[in-house]
Parts: sequence; C-alpha cells; structure tokens
Amino acid sequence: MSNQEVLGTRTGKLVNVFSRGRIKIPALHFLVSNKKAKWALLILVPILLLTVLAPVLPMQKPLETNVTSSLLSPSLEHPFGTDKLGRDILSRTLSGIQISMMVGFSVAAIALVFGIVLGTISGFYGKTVDRVIMGVVDIFLAFPSLLLAIGLVSIMGAGFVPVIIAISLADVPRFIRLQRSLVLSLRTRTYIDAARTVQASQLWLMRKHIIPNTIAALLVAASISAANAILVEASLSFLGLGIMPPEPSLGNIIKEGQSYLQTAWWISTLPGVVILMIAISLHFMSDGIREALDPRSRK
Amino acid sequence: MTDMVVKQESSKPNPEPILQVRDLHTHFIADKVTVKAVNGVSFDLQRGERLAIVGESGSGKSAMAMSLIQLIAYPGKIVSGSVRLEGTELIGMRENELNKIRGSAVGTIFQDPMSSLDPVMRISDQMITPIRKHLNLGHKEARLLAIDWLSRVGIPEAHTRIDSYPFEMSGGMRQRIMIAMALSCNPRLILADEPTTALDVTIQAQIVELLKNLTETTGAAMMFITHDLGLVARFAQKVAVMYAGRIVEYGTVEELFAHPKHPYTQSLLMTIPKVSGEKSGRLLHIEGFPHDMRNTIVGCSFKERCTAAFSRCYEEAPQLMEREGSQRSACFLPNGLNFGVEAEQEELVKLHVSTLPALAQFTRPTGNVLEIKELHKHFKKESMLPWRPTSQIKAVNGINITLEFGETIGIVGESGCGKSTTARMLLGLDAPTSGSIDIQGNIQIVFQDPYSSFNPKMKIKDIIAEPLVVRKIGTPESRKSKVNELIGKVGLEASYLERYPSELSGGQRQRIGVARALALNPSVVVADEPTSALDVSVRAQIINLLCDLKEEMGLSFVFISHDLSTVRYISDKIAVMYLGEIVEYGSAEEIFNHPAHPYTKALLAAVPVPDPVIEAGRNIEILAGELPSPANPPLGCAFHSRCPLVTEHCVSCKPLLVDYQDMRQVACHAVS
Repeated sequence: MSNQEVLGTRTGKLVNVFSRGRIKIPALHFLVSNKKAKWALLILVPILLLTVLAPVLPMQKPLETNVTSSLLSPSLEHPFGTDKLGRDILSRTLSGIQISMMVGFSVAAIALVFGIVLGTISGFYGKTVDRVIMGVVDIFLAFPSLLLAIGLVSIMGAGFVPVIIAISLADVPRFIRLQRSLVLSLRTRTYIDAARTVQASQLWLMRKHIIPNTIAALLVAASISAANAILVEASLSFLGLGIMPPEPSLGNIIKEGQSYLQTAWWISTLPGVVILMIAISLHFMSDGIREALDPRSRK
Repeated sequence: MTDMVVKQESSKPNPEPILQVRDLHTHFIADKVTVKAVNGVSFDLQRGERLAIVGESGSGKSAMAMSLIQLIAYPGKIVSGSVRLEGTELIGMRENELNKIRGSAVGTIFQDPMSSLDPVMRISDQMITPIRKHLNLGHKEARLLAIDWLSRVGIPEAHTRIDSYPFEMSGGMRQRIMIAMALSCNPRLILADEPTTALDVTIQAQIVELLKNLTETTGAAMMFITHDLGLVARFAQKVAVMYAGRIVEYGTVEELFAHPKHPYTQSLLMTIPKVSGEKSGRLLHIEGFPHDMRNTIVGCSFKERCTAAFSRCYEEAPQLMEREGSQRSACFLPNGLNFGVEAEQEELVKLHVSTLPALAQFTRPTGNVLEIKELHKHFKKESMLPWRPTSQIKAVNGINITLEFGETIGIVGESGCGKSTTARMLLGLDAPTSGSIDIQGNIQIVFQDPYSSFNPKMKIKDIIAEPLVVRKIGTPESRKSKVNELIGKVGLEASYLERYPSELSGGQRQRIGVARALALNPSVVVADEPTSALDVSVRAQIINLLCDLKEEMGLSFVFISHDLSTVRYISDKIAVMYLGEIVEYGSAEEIFNHPAHPYTKALLAAVPVPDPVIEAGRNIEILAGELPSPANPPLGCAFHSRCPLVTEHCVSCKPLLVDYQDMRQVACHAVS
C-alpha cells in the first residue's frame, strides 16, 4: 500500500501499468513478467502442442500394435520406446496426457464453479445455510481424498466421467471452505457497507463486490487442484480403477510397464517423468499467479 | 582542528551531543525504481532533549528514525552517512553489536501497540528477557525491575498484571507497557514513532504526559515522530520539519511556532483549524501533492507547492541555512513566504485560497431534516456456556437529536462511546433496538478510511455510478453525465474516472468518497471521521470541500470525529457522547468556548493546541483512567468513575440531560 499512497498527478506510468495489471485477470501481463509462470509455460505449451498435434504427427496410432517391434528401447523412430505389443509409448503417452489434461481442467472448473457458488452463499448468508453447507463439507473433508475417490469409482464404475466426478467430489469441499473464508473477511469491508447504504441487493453485493475480489485466490487454488487431479487420475488408473485399458492414460501405461521395469524401464519411467513435469509446472503456475496478483510477495 | 572544536564548544551549551547524524541517505530499491526515502539528513540531539520530527506520510520520517538503529526492512538500504551515538559510529556495525545497542542504549516505542507486542507471550516473558540480557540480572531481580517499571508507567496492580497476555489489556495499557519495555534498560535515547496516533485523545494526553515525566526523570533524550503539530507544541523542545526526505526547518519549538521560516512550515501552521478562541474563516490549504519520491528532485523539493518559488528554486537545492537563534531553514528566502510587508504575505496566502463558488439560488426547505427520538441499540452477547447469563452492551442508550435543513451536527467522544453505532443506525446498516429515526430525503455516508471504502477491482466511474445503477436511476448516458458532474464538484478532473482506487492518493480517494455520497442527491450526509486517515495538508482540503458543499447544496452533515478542532470548524451543533449517552448538547460555539460538562472540559483539555506558548500556560487537567466497559457501565452518572467533581449523589443517582442556560443541554449534577 505504502508505495501507492502518495500518487499524484505526475505519477510514474510504471505504477499505473502495474496496478492495472494487478487488477485485471492478468492473462498476458503476468505470463511475460513472472519468472515462475514463464518456466511453467515453457514446459506446458510444448506438451500441449504435441498432444493436440498428435493425430497428425507421423507416428503410430496409440492403439496400433506391431508384434515385430516389441519392447524396443527409445530410438528416433520410437522416442519413448515400445511395449510388449509393439505400441508406441510416446503416442500412448500423448494420448494419455490428453485425458489427464481434460481430467485436470474439468476438475478445476467444476471445483471453481461449485466452490464459488456454495462458498459465497455459505459465507455471505451465514447462520443455518452456513451450518448445513459446512456440515456436509466437513463430512467430505474427513475422508482422505484418494480413498474417497477410490470408493466413489468402485460404486460408479470405472471410466472417464466417473473419475472426474469422483475427484471433483473430493476437491469441491476444499474450494467451498476457501471461498467461504475469503467471503467472511470481505463481508465486513467498508465498500460492502457503502453499497448497502444505497440498498443494493444481496445478489449485487456478491456479484460485484465479493466474487471479483476472491477470484485471484481461487485461481491459485484451481491450478494446484488441476495438478492434484492429474495425479489422482494417474493413481486411480494405476490401480485399475480409472481409465480402462486399452484406452491409454498415464496411470495405466505406468501400470503396464510395471512388470517390465527390469527389462524395459522406459515404459513406466518416461510417462512418469511427464506426469512430474506437468504437476511441477502447474504448481509453478499457481505460484506465478499468486505473485502476479499480490505485489507484496514480489522481490 | 582544535580551533574548530573550541569554537563549537563556546557557541553551543552542551558540547557533546548524544546523537550526531550526518548526511544520512536511505534508499528503497525496488525492481526498476529507487525510492530515496531519506535524502541527506543531518542533526544533533543533545542529552535529555526532546526532538520532534514532523512531516506528512511519505516524508521519510519513520525511515529516518529506523535507519538510526538500522531496522530498515528489505528492500531498504542505508546508502551513506554517519550516525554516531555517544561518539560510536553505528553505520557499518555488525548485527550482533547493534543488537546490544537496540533495547539497551536505544529504546524504541512503535506506533501500533496492538501489533508491537507478541500476542502469545505473557508481558513478563516479553519484558524480563531483554532486561536480563542487557542488564545482566538474575530472573528474580529482572522481574522486580519489570514490575517496578510497570507501576511507574501507571499499570495498576503491576505485580499481577505482569503475568497477563497483551490481549487482556486495552490499547492505552499496551502502549504503557511498550513504554515500560523501552525504558526498562535505562536507554540514553528513546525513539518514539507516532506513539499516540492509534489512541484516543484522552489516552493520548495521558501517554504524552507520562513520556514527558519519564524522560525528565531518567534524563534520556527522545526523538518523537509525529504529524500532529499540537503534540509537538505540547511535548517537544526542538523540532525538525521533514519534507521529501530532508529536514527543511529546524529550531526550538518557540522559535518555530512563533516565526516559521520555511514556506512548508508556514503553510502547515496555517492549515490547522483552531480549537479555542474565535472561529476562523475558511481554512487555508497547501495546493498540490507531496513530492513523488520515485523521481529525482531537481532544485527545491517544495517548489511546486510554494507560492514564493522563483527561478533559482528550480535549479539548485537549498541547504539548511542558519537563521536567528538555533533556527535553520532550507529556503533561499530568509523569511520564506513572509518576505515582505504584512500585506504582501496576505496576498500570497490568498493565492492558496480558492474563491468560494457563487452561491446557487435555491430555496432551502425549512423544518427538521433529521429527528432521532429515544434511540437505543443494545447488543446481546451470548455466552458459549448455556447457563451463563447473556451480557448486554448498551452501545447507544437513548439519544435525541434534531437537525434542521442545512445544519451540521458534530458528534464527539472517545472510541466506544457509540458514535459510530449511531451512524450505522442512521444509514440503516444496523436496526435500532428501540426509538425512531425520521429522515426527510436521502441519507448517505463518507467513510473514515479512504483505503478500504472502495472495491479495488472497480474503476472510479463505476464506484461513483454504483448508487445510481443499484437504484436504477437514469439511463447509462445520463448516469455518465451525472458522474462527470459529481467528480467536477469534488474538484477532480474527469480523467480520474478511468483509474482504479489504488492509483489515487488518500485525499483524492476521500474526494471520490464524497462524490459517491452525493450521487443520490442526499439531504443528510454522515461523515464518519472523514479526515482522520489523511495527512495534515490534505485534511484542510477535505474540510473545505465539505464546507463548500454544505453552502452550495444546502446539505446537512452529521460529522463524527474525535478531532475536536475539525468538529468545531464545521459544526453548528455539538453532541458530546459518553458510554452511549449524550452528556452535553447545544451550539458548537457555546460548547467550545464555555464547556459545561466535566467530560467536555476534559476532552477539550486533552487536545493539544499547536502553539507552545498557550500549551505552556495551560493548566491541563488530564482525565484519569479509561472508558469503563460498556457491558458493565458504572451506576449513577456513567462518568463518575473518572470525574473530578464526583460526589455521593453522582454515584447513586443518574443525572438527566436538562436545559442549561439557553440553547444547551447538560447531564451533570454539578452543573445544574
């Protein structure tokens, strides 16, 4: 605050640009200005490009088998090597990333929407509504998220949609909690009182004054949640509860390679490295978003 | 060399100052900008002397004081200069040696007593450790010494209170503890950074008196940072006025207040409304904004706001130059704005005063715009344990106020007296427990804190237009022109509409707050401490703006403040509140010139007057004790626990608010 206190008419442009960037969703601004976000993008963008372009790239289809080229080690033709059935691991990994990303972003989106809606209602209205919502949330939070997801998938059956639902159900309560705590601290702000004195409706207060001021923190949480969802999906698939073979997913590729670790290390290791890189870059991204939105943490 | 030393000794009464600061520079180095917070400060502090450092926020006064003991937070850095404490150079000293000096030779009192004590440590633990370390005492001796200091700073039952936690103490008590901690290792120098800003006027008066007595008895020198010129006059012996990281004027209190030499000091002294004597005309204010410390200063830092600036001021920075006595001023003109005959100065001063806008021809409706009858607000506090009785806090306990169209009422009292609760009920933010509020027309509010009263994600134009949009008044085009009209009315350019609140200064934000309040054409505007978060030079601008609007639009104001000089300046009527009740009510002039209720008298006495001569001659009766808990108010007259005139009758029987002379009501047995 202090460096913005004495802004006069002759203020340096730098500060103006900076504070504008802080206020808007920092789509382009922070990506170029923040070191961590830059690293995250340097990893994520090529991976995403490859994933999108996979169908048109000159390589074996993910499900295509070729018994003559079984268990080949990484080479120019098969950069990630092949498995027992001669399937190209790179192609399968890219296809798996596609599923991972879809799971990650769907979970983040679902958690954001439900978290914002229910958390805002809970924090803003308080009393009975709050008690009911928080009661349910606490029940969900009492389960370890992976166990909860395993339980739900075993009830609903394996597959893409059940996996998303299962992971979301474990993540949404956290978002509700976070949003509620943010709303509680914003609810007593003077500008809310100011809007109340002109008899603004509660919907107006939530839409104009509360939610825009919580988005930043939730985006940070959402990118961590996406990383987490990717890991949980991989774990579920690894346990044979997520995406079912032959449909490739990072988790089930690793599982299939498990028995070949001694002879063909690449089947499990390389997709594992990819998961690691995606998770790390999503965490970097969340750090980057936080730093870009909160000027105090900048060094 | 020897000649010089001899010369200094002969010219100065005390040859060896305790603190010698020479050409101190402290910079805050951010990504691309360097904020030169302290820009070449030099001064001496003699033993036992009380020096006040005065300046607006951002003038570098705190950064300077913290540089002395090198408690500068990253990215701050002391770039050059020398700080000698009793001849020992502190700059460049190793951290562990500095730590020995901090706390023992130099004691520090910070601004906010709420955050400067560790909330999870008992007072005893926080006090005893440093005493043992610095004075090499055993645990028992250290504890006894700590208890002794606590009782010296006026903590009752110090031997038991020493084992309590900070949250069990009031703000005033915590500040006393800070003072005890700062003094407990017999420091020779005390740095106090706005030690009373966060406290009520009555508590402030107590703390100032305490500090004054303690420095006199211990002989410690003291550097006192403040923006309150009244406090300076009451407390200090020497004054250094800081502007843009430099000392622009230095001298004894008497010299500086009697004949200020620097244009900045001169303007500052003219912006303050008077608390006693005749009510003055329109307030003078300093145009423009403080220097933006990111930019390099060419020439004098005050030139843009100085009416006497001439070509040399733009080329060359004036150094501190000797004037008569011990006074020094950094201005090319020996007498600042006051360079010629009296009349000429008047002319210059007038340049500061924008002419009053022509009065609009409107017919003011007659009658009462606001009627408050028997207003009560009780908060029930339920205990966590079901068998405990619920306690009730009577925040507002039966007040009656009537306000005519165009009239302004000031509500004054210590924090916790119910003035803000009253405001919230007026605005419909809280529902009254009982009683009625009748308002003709609209009521709107200007909030205290210009930093938190705007949504940081909204542009100024949306902030001002919000009431119109919410109430669905007008079309987008008509709203736009209304917003343009409003921002002009509060004296800002239309270009500000596209900005965000974080891009405006405190004073500018407060103007936006006023514009937002005016959007619905209110008949009454509640102003809840609208100037207390602002700098002295900006305060006058906002008060003038409110006065203009009052004249121009026939607005009524409910002005809530503990700044009595401001209340007096703007109000027609005053209501003095104590523990949810009005104890004195009537015309502002009457109450300020002849206060009747002992509480009103005490409040007025607690406010320091920015004139050392008056302050020295004043017999200040300081109100003892603190505001009793509103959950458990004293029986009879609520004020009896602190009243100098208390009798048996006051304890048993509650005085009613009854007519006193004409035009005034007082609730006191001793008066009626």
